[in-house]
Amino acid sequence: MKNIKRILLLLAVLSLVLSMGFAEGIEENSGEKVTLKVLNYYDTTEPGYEKERQVWQNFRDENPNIDLVTEDLCNEAFHQKVSAYIASGNLPDVMYMYPSGRSMAIHENKLVKDLKPLLGEEFLSNFVSTALNTKTQGSGYLAELPQSICYTTVVYTNKGLLTSLGLKIPTTYEELKAMVPTLKANGIQTVLMANKDDWVMQSCLFSTIAGRYVGTKWFDDVKMGKVKFTDPEFVQALNMVKTMYDDGVISRNTIQLAYGEAPGLFASGKAAFFVDGDWKESAFLTNHTTGESLISPAKQETDLALIPFPALPGENYPGTVSSTLGCGFGISSAITAGSAKEIAAVKLMKYLYSSEIQQQYLELGRYVPTRKDVSAKKVEPIVKKMMGYYAQSESTCYVLDSALDPSVYTVLNKVLQEIGLGSKTPKEAAAEVQKAMDKYIAMQ
Amino acid sequence: MLNKEKEEKKAYRRFVIPSLVIFIFVMAFPIILSFILSLSNFSGGKMFGGSRWKITGLQNYSYLFSDSYFWNALLNNIYLVLISVFGQLPLGMILAYLIYRKTVKGGEFWQGILYVPSVISVIVIGIMWNLIFSPYGPVSQIINNINTTAFTKEVMAVLNGHLDFNGALVVNSSLIKDLVNINAQAASLLGDPVSVLTTFLKTSATGDLEETTRLLTNLLCPKWSASFLNEKGVAMLPILFVTLWCWTGMYLILFLANMQKIDPQTLDSAQIDGAKESTILRHIILPELSGVILNSAILCIAGSLSTFDLIYAMTGGGPARITQVLSIYMYEKAFTGTPNYPLSNAISIMMVVFSLVLIGITKAVQKRLEGDR
Repeated sequence: MKNIKRILLLLAVLSLVLSMGFAEGIEENSGEKVTLKVLNYYDTTEPGYEKERQVWQNFRDENPNIDLVTEDLCNEAFHQKVSAYIASGNLPDVMYMYPSGRSMAIHENKLVKDLKPLLGEEFLSNFVSTALNTKTQGSGYLAELPQSICYTTVVYTNKGLLTSLGLKIPTTYEELKAMVPTLKANGIQTVLMANKDDWVMQSCLFSTIAGRYVGTKWFDDVKMGKVKFTDPEFVQALNMVKTMYDDGVISRNTIQLAYGEAPGLFASGKAAFFVDGDWKESAFLTNHTTGESLISPAKQETDLALIPFPALPGENYPGTVSSTLGCGFGISSAITAGSAKEIAAVKLMKYLYSSEIQQQYLELGRYVPTRKDVSAKKVEPIVKKMMGYYAQSESTCYVLDSALDPSVYTVLNKVLQEIGLGSKTPKEAAAEVQKAMDKYIAMQ
Repeated sequence: MLNKEKEEKKAYRRFVIPSLVIFIFVMAFPIILSFILSLSNFSGGKMFGGSRWKITGLQNYSYLFSDSYFWNALLNNIYLVLISVFGQLPLGMILAYLIYRKTVKGGEFWQGILYVPSVISVIVIGIMWNLIFSPYGPVSQIINNINTTAFTKEVMAVLNGHLDFNGALVVNSSLIKDLVNINAQAASLLGDPVSVLTTFLKTSATGDLEETTRLLTNLLCPKWSASFLNEKGVAMLPILFVTLWCWTGMYLILFLANMQKIDPQTLDSAQIDGAKESTILRHIILPELSGVILNSAILCIAGSLSTFDLIYAMTGGGPARITQVLSIYMYEKAFTGTPNYPLSNAISIMMVVFSLVLIGITKAVQKRLEGDR
């Protein structure tokens, strides 16, 4: 009798657990309420965060049947979370991702769907054709819809500071180097970068330096073993980084500078130049909730200039700037085709890429959209200047973490830091990157 | 009698089985699975029903042993173990003894103060010390302000020695030589200091002597920053210091609590018999605390090997991986760049093996000491 009671109790507990487990499935199938998990990339300390939250809230309000669970992460924390999601085989339903490079694992394993059939030709016709070029996506199909074209090297210049010291905006590296004593005498650093995270030097400056010396095709050749990183032209590019540290153009202190610290230091006049990607413009914009900004719109107009990195000695591709197709959102392959969840995910995508939201992102200074029907009406001067910067850029080259395999660019990132520390010579650094490349080629 | 034995066995099983089941699922199974994965080519996703994976052998271990970053991370872990076992424990013991024997006044106050770092979030501690050591942080600024004040006087003295009758600065080779001599090292960073300083003084220096002094001070004054912390061999020092600062208080409390359990009459009678403080410590307190010392040593070793948060917040394992420890090295292999789960599992297995070896050594040392006693 006692045993029967125990078995009955066990069955009751089991049935309760099972019914809870199936509850979500029933909810989804009946089409009543769908839960969408979204991984967004956003630095929550940036001025536009309140408006960003409003964008998602508006979608929730308009779609009470879709329960939106969003997660905002940025920088390394974002990439590490994505890796953890991939490891667990449990990707979010809609997620922010890169066209290749750092999201390569998603592309290679086809963990997201092809957006072309889902979004439809009519919707996609609103975007510039470059954004729809599937050859530039690691998966070979439209895994994510690029929101922008991303320029990873922008020299944010304190024009006001230079003028007050009787200096002019430099056009060559020699002119930049000649400024160092004057700036130093006034307690000002020349070029500021946040080099504590090792990707910054590679992505925001070295990609452009390498592009200026070896161009773009060279990197296609290196992957086929036709040229080597140890060849003099690439070593010359690495040597340029060493020269910048040796000349005091970039201070070795920057290797201790965290990514979030640099914009504030630049805005407070601690450096004449700040090198980072175009996305960093948003750090200088006005926070609409508090009305505060690191650089006021008036100062942006008068004191700020966005310039390409000055001409390097002996460069072969003048004016080249590293750029890549921007990031965007993709939809998880795990969602059943034709399910209510897929319909909800597509609805969310169309909302995020609508001209209204893209217009808002342009005004927030997040990026210049690939969507054609947006216009820069109410933007702050820095955004207008950024658009001017894009227009004046003569040619573009690869951002190396988009062009190389992660097993190669992680080594490159590290050796660039070692060059800065003086613990490796450019030749030794090149040999180490080539070793990683040889290993990669052997595995193909 | 038989019934009692049966009942005891039943009770034993009832108590042990739940913990055993939890242990198997939470500890034993993951360790075994981790070992299996370390021998495989598993590339993420669903373990069953996902893409196929198979056992490929010991290649991840051979990669590890040939990777200099593994040995560097292991060495950093050994530093941490050493500072913990031979730093935190003796320091905690000494401080606890001083408080227990009332050698210092205000024992409770010191006890509280020393314990505070243990209750602050390790991430907060990491960020705080990182800001303190930052090239733009308070320590750099204070030291540079002191440097600048002293340096300004030297520059002013040199400039005053090169004024003409009207009080105007005479820019000639003698002035430049004197300026370079103030700090030849800083001057050498200007490339060709003579030509740079000559051009600078001719173009930038105004008639205002004070302003010229300020500019030259900025240019030539040695700027202090904690950049030496970027160097291999030195970079671990702040981390070791913060580890010591952070956890010594915890061991102090552990030792103090156990000292307070010692019968005071034993100590009183020892004192009456004329025992010195050192004799009391050696023959009464240390033997009484041998159990807690061993447990603390095991805690220290386990904590040092699994430490992640403090170093991640302070340096992130950088620059150029020189402050990486095994846990950060494992994290990097699993979650950054190309995820390599088998290799990460191999690293975690090595951490387990290393812990077992160290704990084995600790146990052997204790056995030896107890044998002597």
